[in-house]
Formats: sequence, structure tokens, C-alpha cells
Amino acid sequence: MREEEVPKGLKNDIRVWLLIAAVVLSVVMIGPGYSAEEGLNTDLNYGLDLEGGSWIQIKLQGAVTQLDADISMLVTEIVESAIDVPIEILSVTGDEGEGYSNDGNTVTFTTSTYVSGLQMDLLGLGQSDISYSDDASSIVLSTNKQTLIMQYLSRALNTEVVPLFVGDGVEYEIRTAISLEELQTLMVPVGGNVLAGSDGDVIFREGVRTETRDMTRDILSEKLNSLGLKDIPVRTVGEEYILIDFAGTDLTTAKEIVEKPGKFEIRMQTTGNESVHVLYGDSIEKVGIVTQMDGSWNTPFTLDEEGAFALQKIAIETGAIADPNSHLLYMYLDDREVYGAPLSYSAASALNEHPIYSWQASTGIDEDGKTQAEQLQIHLRAGALPVNVVLMGSGQVDAALGDQFKRQVAIAGLFALLAVAVVVFRRYRKKEILLPMVGTSLCEVIIILGFAGAVNWQLDLPAIAGIIAAIGTGIDHLVIITDEVLYEGKLPSTKVYMERISKAFAIIFAAAATTTIAMSPLVVMGFGALRGFAITTIIGVLIGVLIARPVYGKVIKVVLDKAE
Amino acid sequence: MAAILTEYLDSFVRSCDDKKLIAIPLAVLVLSLLVSGFVFATTGAPVKLGMEFEGGTMIAFETQESAEALALAYSAHSLVDTRKTGDRAILQFGPMDGESQSELEKAITSKYSSVEIKQIGALYGKELQTQALIALCLSFIGMALVVFLIFRTAVPSLAVVLSAFSDIAIAIAFMNIVGVELSLGTVAALLMLIGYSVDSDILLTTRVLKRRGSPDENIGRAMHTGVTMTTTTLAALVVMYIVSTFSYLVTSSVSQINLLSDIAIVLIFGLAADLMNTWLLNTGILRWHVRRSTPRRRRA
Repeated sequence: MREEEVPKGLKNDIRVWLLIAAVVLSVVMIGPGYSAEEGLNTDLNYGLDLEGGSWIQIKLQGAVTQLDADISMLVTEIVESAIDVPIEILSVTGDEGEGYSNDGNTVTFTTSTYVSGLQMDLLGLGQSDISYSDDASSIVLSTNKQTLIMQYLSRALNTEVVPLFVGDGVEYEIRTAISLEELQTLMVPVGGNVLAGSDGDVIFREGVRTETRDMTRDILSEKLNSLGLKDIPVRTVGEEYILIDFAGTDLTTAKEIVEKPGKFEIRMQTTGNESVHVLYGDSIEKVGIVTQMDGSWNTPFTLDEEGAFALQKIAIETGAIADPNSHLLYMYLDDREVYGAPLSYSAASALNEHPIYSWQASTGIDEDGKTQAEQLQIHLRAGALPVNVVLMGSGQVDAALGDQFKRQVAIAGLFALLAVAVVVFRRYRKKEILLPMVGTSLCEVIIILGFAGAVNWQLDLPAIAGIIAAIGTGIDHLVIITDEVLYEGKLPSTKVYMERISKAFAIIFAAAATTTIAMSPLVVMGFGALRGFAITTIIGVLIGVLIARPVYGKVIKVVLDKAE
Repeated sequence: MAAILTEYLDSFVRSCDDKKLIAIPLAVLVLSLLVSGFVFATTGAPVKLGMEFEGGTMIAFETQESAEALALAYSAHSLVDTRKTGDRAILQFGPMDGESQSELEKAITSKYSSVEIKQIGALYGKELQTQALIALCLSFIGMALVVFLIFRTAVPSLAVVLSAFSDIAIAIAFMNIVGVELSLGTVAALLMLIGYSVDSDILLTTRVLKRRGSPDENIGRAMHTGVTMTTTTLAALVVMYIVSTFSYLVTSSVSQINLLSDIAIVLIFGLAADLMNTWLLNTGILRWHVRRSTPRRRRA
């Protein structure tokens, strides 16, 4: 009679079914299988420390700041360092305020030597009109403050400096490591300083913009993809770090892959499928930010002298200057075509006269064009990263060792569970308690692993430590439930039993809440290996408290009822 | 073992007055703080920082060569330490530049098998240090807040927080004495300790504050449950420690799993301290608090 009632109680309980469903689903997600070659295998993803492979963590160096400087001092510094002869500023017109002005400035200056138009163009300051009298040159330069500051800094630091208009001013991203003091010293010769915000603090932070960080990540991903290493995850960690996992690759190879730029080449069509070499990636000096001009998206880039002359020469030789449409310009990355288009008519006719340093590759007017332009921006860099990076950390575990770790962890887990079982059995001396307890723990492990499989979690050593932590508190909680139920040494009536269970769960929920809260800073801060540890612990505790342990409370009553 | 321990603890708690109960763990806590304070005064950190926080390179591999021979072979690089467990050698190097790093890695990977490499830049180590410290502080504050929210009375909550603090302080002192370095693993262990230590404290406090019966009876029952909890966890940890640390004694080519071994040993220290802190320190304070306030609440 009683025995028939009891299973019915369990069968009608939705929580029991929930647990069973969770376990079944988890087993499907884990996907255990057996094959003659590989032995026992599952669909679980293991981390590098268990699978073998290497990882590299790099930090992006740079600074983002707002600056001001004196226009005539900027022009003097930049031009004098280029031509090695003093110049004399005659006049500066236009708005010289701190903010950005669209109108720009006109700077007129003279010098006692011959300055060619090409020399001025190479400085990249803006349009200049030069008139000569005797040996002296008189130059009228149309420029603006942000261009001058950008050129001054990028020359002084030998790095890229990218200005960006923000609300009331111009923000400069300096793509190399520089401290506030160094920058302030650097601004002294041009009568400049680092601007202060409305709160009085100087506007300066180390690091790069989020967009730059993401671009660096994309370039790395792209590069790894082009090498056929498709599954290599390139992740950003925090604001300034990028972490790359190389499954099954040793550290030496991994470093070579990250450091070695791709092979970028520009070729020009001669006839039909034939084309001739124009230049390699090392001739590309700078790649600009994707912009939209006259509705069309394009990627600006600058060639060095050799490259500009080579392109002019080939364009003349192939006849592209006369008939651009039958002599397309192609770009290749690692022998893969990434861009192909004719020269514009204006560029073609200009090449007749002189080489062109600044180019724009236009890709089209729609969203597709934008995506292509962004892709091209990455390709043009040929895998060279936009910012200076330093290696912050790296590691390697070879596959044999990973295998051994995996086995060892499994053994440790199994023996640990056995040890727990022995202690529990010695305490209660009833297999009716031991079996549900160990069973519940096993269910928790299976569900955590199933969850890991479902979300494609990488199980590494810290994550396994997290699972062990969750199971450890799990056993603690099961002991609390058991002792609460058996409060005076025997099983109480159903009404009292329900009260006791809710008391036990009050304690368990409180304990689970503290564990979850204690682990959450690690999840939010997200540094290093401990993030995985914290997340698995929290998920394990939640699965235990919400799914598995309530069922244990039900089962233990049924089983003990039966036994009595 | 758990039963004997519980019985002994129970009779000890019943026979001692609150002051004496509290005095013992407090003395241990003060001693621990002194040990860590001394280490802090001499080295600038409360516990010896491992490679992950100091920066440097660790390379482990399988070899039959002796530690001395290896130390000699790699003395040109900034070798800090050479150890050998079973057939595995562990070489620890100070920070070096990228090129010599790559050279060293190439040389070792081409010569030995089962290679494990871990390299942390000195700067990154510094950053990890700050982050670990922040994480530990935030965890502790978060835990304290939850405890206060649960019990809503000052003395019992403070007792729980104090014994959790003491667990960590004693675990750190033990690390100093035994020579366990602070690594990512041991930081994880200290965080886990916060969770584990609070479990038994919450059990004790709930039972004593919210159940009928004399405090001593409630404490006795809570102890029965709590000591079982801690001993099961300890049993699992001891096994984990043995497997991850001493497997090489069985098969000499097997490597230690440092992460698990570190976590296990620190938790073993911490949970042993927790037994004392929960059942002497926390119990003493709680019993004193209950006895002080009960006469007024007792119904006629």
C-alpha cells in the first residue's frame, strides 16, 4: 500500500521531472560516444591546458588625450626639421582657438632656400602655394590645427596619431606607449599643453579607443583565418588586452604567426588575365580610417616615395593613364585577390604629371561598400597591427601533457567523490542516504558539464576547479538537508517535514547567496584564468540550489519512509 | 573521525566559558597576523608572490637529467629556481626580453617532450596583483553585506564576518610558514574559502538564533551537521591534493597539477582554521550574545 503511494508522490512532482529532463538533456549535450580509434570521447570543449596548445596575451599600447598648441610654432618645428633651414612666419590667419574649426588656417612663411612642392606635400600638412624669388621661397600653407598637431606628434614619436572630433574638441589617439609627463615635455617646444576637462583634471588616459582595440582584434583574426587557422579565437580581455588561443600549436609557431605580417602586393593589369607587379606592402606608409565621400565609401592610404614612383611608372608603361578601365589595379594579400578597380580619371591624368602619394580605394555606396572598405583597411595593413603591442603573457601545454592532466583530473575527481562517500557513510551508516546523496552530486556534475557543452564552454583546469568547488558546497548542503530532516534522529510527519525542509533551504539559499556574491567580482573584472573559475562556480551553485538539491529533499523522504 | 571530533569539540565548548572559547582563536589570529605582518615588513607583500604576480617564465618538461645539470645548462638565462619531481623538471626564470625568451622556448621544445610553458610579463603581474587584491576585498565586502542582510543583527553578523576573516588570515599565515606562493590558484582558493567558511557559520547562527532549545543544545546539533560538512570537504581536498601532487611517486613521468595542488593545500589549511573559528570563535561570541539577551526575552 505504502510502497505504491510513494513513487506516485515523486512522479507527480514537477521538480523531479525537471531534474530528469535536465540530466537527459545534459547527456545529449555532452554527447558521449565510443569509437575504436579514439576510445571514449565527448562533444565537450577542453581548454588549452587539457587539450594542448598555446596562448598569447598582448597589451595594446597607446594614449588618448586632448591637446592644444601654437600654430606658428607647430609649423616652424615641423618644416624646419624637414628642410634643416630656419623659416620665418609672416602671418597666421583663421581661428586659433582650442576647438576644432572647419575653416582652417592659412600660414604664410618664407625661408632662404628652395622648397619644392613635393617636399611640402610629403609633410602632409595641407595645400601649399609656393613662390620663388632668388634663392628664397615664400609659402602660403592652408592647414588646420589638428593636422599640425597630428603630424608633429607622429613625427616626434614615429607612430600613428589619429585625431577624432568629439563634441567640443579634438581627441588624439597616440598609438604607442607614452606617459603624461613625456607628452607634456613633448608639447613644450610647440607652446602646447595637455588640455584639462571641466573638472580640472587633464584629459589623458593610457590605452586606445575601443574601435582601435576591436580593429586590432579583427586584423589578428583575419590574419589567422588567411593562414587557414579558422578556429582560433581572438578575444579582447578588458579594455587593453587581446588574448589568442592556439589549439594544437606550439608557442614558437604561435609567436611567429602573430609577429609575421602577411604578404601584400599591388599589381596592375596589362592585357586580359596578365598583370605586372607594382609594389609590396612595405611601400604602404599609412592606412587611414574608412570615410564616405560623395556617397561612396573608401579607404585612404599613403604610399612612400618608392611606391608612389613605382605606381606612376607602371601606370604610364601599361597605358593605364590613358585607358584606366582596361588596366585595373589589383590588390593581393597572401596571393589572394582582395580588391580590384580602375584608376579614377582624375588620378590617371594627375599621374601624367607627377606621382601620387595619397590614394583612396573606393568600394561602393551601400552598406556592402562600407563593409568592404573596412575589410580593405585590414588587408592594406597586411597583418601589421595598428598599434604598438607588448607581450604580456604566454603559455604552452603540449598535447601529451594535456592528456595526462585530463586523466589525472578525472582520477582526482573520482577518488574525491569516493572519499566523500566514505565520510558520509561513516556518519549516517545508511545506504538509503548515501546513494541519493552521491546520486545528486553526480547529477549536478552532469548538468554542469551539459551546460558547458550547450554553451560551448571551454573546460580548462580553473573551470574544473570551479566545478569541484560547486560540488563541494553541494555536499555540504545535502548534509544540511539530511540533518534537518532527521532532526531528532527519526523521520517526522509530512507536515513537520515540510517545515524542516524549508528551514534547511533558508540556510542553503543564504549560503549559496554568499558564495555567488563572493565570486561575482571575478566575473565582472574578468581577468585571467580566474574568470572561468568564478563563472563555473556560480553556475554550479545555481544549478545545485535550483534544480538538484530540492529533489534530494523529496527523494530522501521517500527513501527513508520506505526503509522504515 | 568526524564523530569523535564532534564529541570532543562539543564537550569542550560546553565546559569552557565564552571568554576562553573566544580567546584561543583570537590568539591564533593575532599570531597569524604577526607572521604575515613580519613577511609584509620584510618583503613588501603579506605572502610570497608567485611567478604569475612577479612576472617571469616557468618551463616544465620531462627529462632524466638531474636538477644540477639543468641548472648549469641554463645558467646563462636568468634562472631563478630549478626543481625536479619524478622525471619532470621545472625551471623558473626571471623576466627576460622577447628574443631570448623565444630562443629559450625553441631550444627547450625541440629538445624535450611534455613541455609546459607559462610566461607573465612583469607589468602584467603587477596588474594582476592589484586586480587580485581588489577581487578579494570586493568578495569579502559582498559576503559581509549578504550576511548582514540575512541576520539583520549586528553581533551575530560581525561574528560570522570575523571568523571568515580569521580563516583567510590563518590560511595566509600557513602559506607563509609552509612556503606556498600566492598564485592565481591560491587566490581562487582564498575566494572559495570565503564561500565555504560562511556555510557553517550561517548554519550555526541560524540554528542558535531561530530555534527553540538551549543555546548549548542548538550548538551541539549544529556542530554535528557542520563538522560533517567540513570533514567531507576536507576528505575530498586531501584526496585532490594527493592525486595532483604525488602522482609522480607512482609513475615518475606524471606531472604535478600545480593549480589543483595549490588550491587544495590552501583550502585544507583554511578549512582546518574554519573548524576552530566556527566552533570556538563564532560559537563563543554567539553564545555570549544569546545569553546576554535571553533573560529579557524569556517568557514567564
